[in-house]
Amino acid sequence: MVLAMKRDQKSSLAWFAFALYICVETARKLPIGTWGDPGPGFWPLGAGLILGGLAALVFLKSLPGKFSGEKVPWYPLHTWKQIVAVLLALLLYAATMEFLGFLLGTFLLLIFLFRVAEPQRWTVALGASALISLAAYGLFEKWLRTQLPAGIWGF
Amino acid sequence: MAENAAACRDLGVLTMDFFANLSLAFSVIFQPNNLLFCFIGCLIGTLVGVLPGLGPPAAIALLLPSTLHMSPVAAIIMLGGIYYGAMYGGSTTSILVNIPGEAASVVTCLDGYQLARQGRAGPALGMSAFGSFFAGTVATLFIMMVAPPLARFALKFGPPEYFSLMFLGLTLVTSLGTGSLIKGLMMAAVGIFLGTIGTDIISGVERFTYGSYTLMDGLGFIPVIMGLFGIPEVLENLEGSLKREVYKTKISHIFPTLKDWGDSIWAMIRGSFLGFFIGILPGGGPMIASLAAYATEKRISKHPEKFGTGVIEGVAAPEAANNAASQGAFIPLLCLGVPGNATMAVLMGALLIYGIKPGPFLIDKHPDLFWGVIGSMYVGNLTLLVLNLPLIGLWVRFLKIPYAILYPLILVFTLVGSYSVNNSIYEVITMILFGVVGYVMKKFKYEGAPLILALVLSPLMENALRQSLILSHGSFDIFFTRPISLVLFVAALLSLASQMAPGFRKKLSKTEG
Repeated sequence: MVLAMKRDQKSSLAWFAFALYICVETARKLPIGTWGDPGPGFWPLGAGLILGGLAALVFLKSLPGKFSGEKVPWYPLHTWKQIVAVLLALLLYAATMEFLGFLLGTFLLLIFLFRVAEPQRWTVALGASALISLAAYGLFEKWLRTQLPAGIWGF
Repeated sequence: MAENAAACRDLGVLTMDFFANLSLAFSVIFQPNNLLFCFIGCLIGTLVGVLPGLGPPAAIALLLPSTLHMSPVAAIIMLGGIYYGAMYGGSTTSILVNIPGEAASVVTCLDGYQLARQGRAGPALGMSAFGSFFAGTVATLFIMMVAPPLARFALKFGPPEYFSLMFLGLTLVTSLGTGSLIKGLMMAAVGIFLGTIGTDIISGVERFTYGSYTLMDGLGFIPVIMGLFGIPEVLENLEGSLKREVYKTKISHIFPTLKDWGDSIWAMIRGSFLGFFIGILPGGGPMIASLAAYATEKRISKHPEKFGTGVIEGVAAPEAANNAASQGAFIPLLCLGVPGNATMAVLMGALLIYGIKPGPFLIDKHPDLFWGVIGSMYVGNLTLLVLNLPLIGLWVRFLKIPYAILYPLILVFTLVGSYSVNNSIYEVITMILFGVVGYVMKKFKYEGAPLILALVLSPLMENALRQSLILSHGSFDIFFTRPISLVLFVAALLSLASQMAPGFRKKLSKTEG
């Protein structure tokens, strides 16, 4: 039988693991120093210990009900695919931005975003994407003099 | 007799100082460039407030890179305008759509939307704008009176006092939040850890950089803020229907009636005072101020049962309070160099990028900046009144823009904004990763504000701690033997203890709900 954990139990375990990572990495790589003369590892170790202690407290506080058998997942049941798609598109955009260049990359990203949630008509998606990409390029590159990546095509 | 004469002389000097400062404030703000950026800030702020999906911290972080070519005075005037402008705009969606444009307008929904349903959207919007204007102007007057003596007092602060003050700020942020106290403290610990990433300035040792040149300078706080505050809002909006129902009502009679004024005037005055004092507390802020003002009005009202059914004072009090708090929040930042909330942390980052160190010396070293910001608050409040009353129809049209069209725009701006800080793809990736973290944090009810504040304060606190220990030859007694430091420490412990008292947090969350 798969037991569903309470949200606080799941999250506190994740934070506890993160705190453990902080403490172990600090102890391995950084001089801690002493109370009177703290080294560069003192402050992160303190943060890790506090985080770990509090995460343990949240876990213990959530125990009285034991495993709740919660049926409702923490992520949206019907739209999680869209959300994952948007996040992946953003990561892909960041990864290819310097290769594709700002204008083309942004244009393609916008078309995808306009089509992924409540899909707009292709004419609207293409027109709005072109308009917004050009406007953003004009605003940031020309007016605010931000150096946006030109890509292999030089724009 | 001699004492009376001395008191009169002091009063005379104070009055002269006040008017000299006021004259300096207006001479700075009435420079055409500053006036233009004040207007732009107010305009963007109203837009940020009206449109759900982008709060003031993310909006300011997003626009920060674009201000690098401007004078610091104009830049801070514009960014400040966005902050308090959002407080004006936030009420519009609360009243017309029952969705707060930003967190500080949550309670305005309770009575504002009911008033709109009764055909009284006009007076509700009008009272909200007048209340905000009144509170904003009163708060600016208070800042002029409080800031200079506070900055003079803060000159007595050494590293131990600063450490204790920042510790107080962190505990107040976590304890005044409406979520779990333990989770708030956990987020502060995460922020403190993230703030240590980079090169340790005392020993030169690299911490958690794993050989990355990008991380040697530390984790960029602008991508972290945009990630934590910008992306999760967009993703949450994508979860539900993207269609918003703007309540179809004729917006007329935006000038409230005499009865409305009679019902609201004291609520507005109380809200302004309460909001200002909550705003100047490190850890206070517009959201807590509006909750407290609403709760106060309900408690002292002769008809508390009517709250939530559409009473005008239920709009006037929180709107006055959130505006007064947003302006009061400038005091700890500008006079003590300690940001009181997430937005002020972004502004502190902006000041540091411009090469200006906020703190007790700011008024003397950069009087044009300090008094320019004060002047911009007077002008900004007036601008916002004009923007929000006659132009209300325009903002309602913005509300009708489908979110499916709006969200790609917000995402592109956050992507370009995070890239343009250092022209680095890594900052964009950092922003997206923190967006995912922020989204999951929201789902598991962890607040982002303590993390951001701790991230900004962490290096300052660590420095203050190590300097204090050098001063005391390694003894922690220094924090408890110096009176100011001791008082601040005790206040921090009391704030934590008060939150552990049963009933307190329930009251807060009840007010919000």
